[in-house]
Amino acid sequence: MMSRTADFTQQWIRQRLPQTREVTLNQRRIFIVPSKLALGMLLLIILLFVLAINFQNSLVYAVCFWLMALLVLNILHTYRNLAGITLKVIGLSPCFAGANATLEIELSCPPKQKKYAVHVGWPEHDMIEVNLAQQHSVRTQLAHPTTRRGRFTPPRITIETRYPLRLAVAWSYLMTDASAIIYPTPKARTENSTTNTSSTEHSGGTEIPRGSHDFGGIREYQPDDAPRQLHWGKYAQTGELYSKTFVDYSSPQRWLAWETLPFPGTEARLSHLCSQVLDCHAKQQEYGLSIPGTRIEPAQGEAHKQRCLSALALFGEQA
Amino acid sequence: MNPAKAALSYTGTIWLLITQVLVMLPFVQYLPLWLMPVLAFTAIWRLRVVKGQSDRPGLPVKIVLMVLGIGGLTLSGLPFPSLDFMVAILLLGFAFKTLEADSQRDAIVVVLLGYFLLAVHFLYSQSILAGLYGVLTLVALTAALIGIHHPMNFMSSRQSTSHALRLSALMLLQCLPLMLLIFMFAPRLQPLFMLPLPSSQAKSGISDSMTPGDIASLSQSDALAFRVTFKNGKPPQNQLYWRGLTLNHFDGRRWKQFIDDYELRQLQQNFAHNYRWQPDNLDIRGPAVEYEAIYERSGQPWLFTLTPATEVYGDVLRGGDYRIMARTELQAPAMLKAVSYPESLRDRTLQPMVRRLALQLPLNTNPRSHSLAQQLRTQSRSEQDYIQRVLQRFRDQSFHYTLRPPMLGSTDTIDAFLFDSQRGFCAHYAGSFVFMMRAAGIPARVVTGYQGGEWNATGQYLSVHQFDAHAWTEVWLAESGWARIDPTTMVAPDRVEQGLEAAMRTEGSFLENQLFTPRKIEWLNRLRQQIDSVQYGWRRFVLGYDRDAQSEFFKNLLGELTIKKVAATLGGLMIALGLLWMLLLGLKPEHRSIAPEQRLYQRFCKRLAKKGLAREPGQTPGDFARLAAAKFPQHAAAILGFNGVYEEVCYGSEANHKPKGLLAQMKQHLQKL
Repeated sequence: MMSRTADFTQQWIRQRLPQTREVTLNQRRIFIVPSKLALGMLLLIILLFVLAINFQNSLVYAVCFWLMALLVLNILHTYRNLAGITLKVIGLSPCFAGANATLEIELSCPPKQKKYAVHVGWPEHDMIEVNLAQQHSVRTQLAHPTTRRGRFTPPRITIETRYPLRLAVAWSYLMTDASAIIYPTPKARTENSTTNTSSTEHSGGTEIPRGSHDFGGIREYQPDDAPRQLHWGKYAQTGELYSKTFVDYSSPQRWLAWETLPFPGTEARLSHLCSQVLDCHAKQQEYGLSIPGTRIEPAQGEAHKQRCLSALALFGEQA
Repeated sequence: MNPAKAALSYTGTIWLLITQVLVMLPFVQYLPLWLMPVLAFTAIWRLRVVKGQSDRPGLPVKIVLMVLGIGGLTLSGLPFPSLDFMVAILLLGFAFKTLEADSQRDAIVVVLLGYFLLAVHFLYSQSILAGLYGVLTLVALTAALIGIHHPMNFMSSRQSTSHALRLSALMLLQCLPLMLLIFMFAPRLQPLFMLPLPSSQAKSGISDSMTPGDIASLSQSDALAFRVTFKNGKPPQNQLYWRGLTLNHFDGRRWKQFIDDYELRQLQQNFAHNYRWQPDNLDIRGPAVEYEAIYERSGQPWLFTLTPATEVYGDVLRGGDYRIMARTELQAPAMLKAVSYPESLRDRTLQPMVRRLALQLPLNTNPRSHSLAQQLRTQSRSEQDYIQRVLQRFRDQSFHYTLRPPMLGSTDTIDAFLFDSQRGFCAHYAGSFVFMMRAAGIPARVVTGYQGGEWNATGQYLSVHQFDAHAWTEVWLAESGWARIDPTTMVAPDRVEQGLEAAMRTEGSFLENQLFTPRKIEWLNRLRQQIDSVQYGWRRFVLGYDRDAQSEFFKNLLGELTIKKVAATLGGLMIALGLLWMLLLGLKPEHRSIAPEQRLYQRFCKRLAKKGLAREPGQTPGDFARLAAAKFPQHAAAILGFNGVYEEVCYGSEANHKPKGLLAQMKQHLQKL
């Protein structure tokens, strides 16, 4: 029953406040209720009323009624402090899962108005106080923690004020359709990665294993090795078969490939690839990315990094 | 993150200190003196904490402070269930709470308590000054509410203070109309239960007994006793005998009401049963005097009226001696409306008990006075004649009216006055005259109250001060009942005609103990009268607006009262106020003016959407209508017809004046859908 009412409320709010990037608060959008302090004030007013009745004291009546009038008038003042504010979402910057996504917003109000102590943000995470007094437009950033990779749409933004007397709370919501891509948490699997990845480094650039030109090293014979790879000299020394390996030194390129990762787990692989993307980017290497469904040819630079990271972030999601 | 639990900022603390000082200051004059250093001490400590010079008090310090405070209260002898005690506890709590407040929530509790104490102060004083001070404190408290919550760190502290103060004053001003509206309309209920009243004020004014020196000492005070407004003009000055109480029992030195000293409650019992008011014993004569009096706080139950008052409005008790008495001691100013017929005959038949009371004399005292009475009585033809002879003696012999009478010893005081000193104040003359009457078997009694008063021409009212206190007598004669006789007039006719100041001009003893009084400088005196008249107007308004005044006010305003009328008036005023507020705050309701044809078109779209065809944002009305007609062939005529008229209204040759006929056609088509 409770959840049904809650659902209904949510739906009602959604209908009333459709998704948008920019909203100017008006009487259709602002909700206002008395605060807890108003209850305290009401108690005080009742107490004063009893006092005035018992002592038949006109001035005590006057104080009592004045506070009552203040309680009412304050609602209008609180409403006025929110009405007319334009809240605009500038953008949401991407981040790695586990870090904070920052939402850049802009609050502004008509030039002749002043707004004080307006709180904007997510009550559970980050609320920022904004004053629109000296300047009529303020840009600020809100941080929202992220937990998992993928496309992230922040929950509705609350904008509220209790100014001036805190006897009423006026608030509104902005349901934004802005979204950001949350990259997987970069986490390199160090224990196996150097021996088991197919990519190893070489001073001259990226090695392409199982090449045919240059001598790369000697390893134990494997059944599918070609006879011309056999290292006869070693056989003479030890009596066991060894194969010569060859690599191709192409340009300094590197493939980061899903299928060559030696450990299971989608998220673990994505995290590892993510850390490698960052690593390559930091070393200014050319790199390509290959994951199921996506193949990005080797390249370099910020845009390329974003592309790769996005591909990792959205893996498994319908882009 | 709950902002209410947020730490109190520096500005918030300063606000708290300001309110603490403002709220506590006016109580200085009413509460035990030792409380003030305690309150000042906590304020200074708090200030030092703010500046970082001291530490916040720890728990042991708090406990010691609390114990000291409560111990002090018990030792200071404030009676326990009294307002003073409650207020003292509240003030202590207020001070200590301020000292330890470190979150915004604590600070708010302090401010709310401040509002309460501000109102409590009005139980002690309702003067203009107290009212103005109250408004000032109200502004400061409300500003504190703003300042504590919104430190406005981007402003300098001076800016943020003035911002909070200005906003608070503005808001209070804006809600003043609503406050007045509620003040006028809110029902005035009868007290729900009795609460103890402020008790620390000493008693002042006329007391319940009289020794010769009492009234003389009262005449050194220029404090106000009461003010009176007359409805149909002021009676002559020498008729203004404001009668308070009658003193029947003389013990040789002192005049008292009865042989026993009664508590107020016993006295009230007495007046309610044995000695109660008997209106049928009154023979109303002469013109009526209608008036309204406001008595200052006296700590005593006596009210002073012109006798006999036949109609009295107010919660009072009436006695068999025609007195009017309040039911409780006056701890706050009280108002009374009365109609008196001063020329009426009182008690044509005298109750035996009253006669007995009015003939009592102490045994074996004042032999010279007794023999004088016998001698004069045998010489007189009648009781009337005897009275004249006794009065004549005051005039003929060298009696003096003086505020500096000599001591009379402890026995035979009447003899000492009548034969030896012959110098005295009104109490001497009244006392000795009653003695002479009773010695000759004529019922008589001493009456105390005030005589005369100062006419304030600016405000058209009479102020009666303590120095107008007076004692006179009443003598009972068979043909006239109780008649007032003032023996003082035999010696000092000026006292009654022009007041005490004139009577004492030669002696120079009027208010002689006061080094400076504006009464003695003419222009200052005039200014004093003007200020006094403003204060009286305030007091009449503030005290006067009770249940009766409320219903009378509405009757004058609305004629016969009906619920409908009151509701309509109230509703109208509320709406007007709402609009006024909108205007003041610059809140205009948004007019979403939609042309009628657009509204109809929206309904058209909504109806089709319900049937399953929603209009795409970019679709032209024509396209949409054709699509709809194709989808719902049974409604095609209505759809196309509606659209045709709609386009005609919007884009046709007559689009500028939107003919009503076309709109009606649109409606018809819409109904068919």
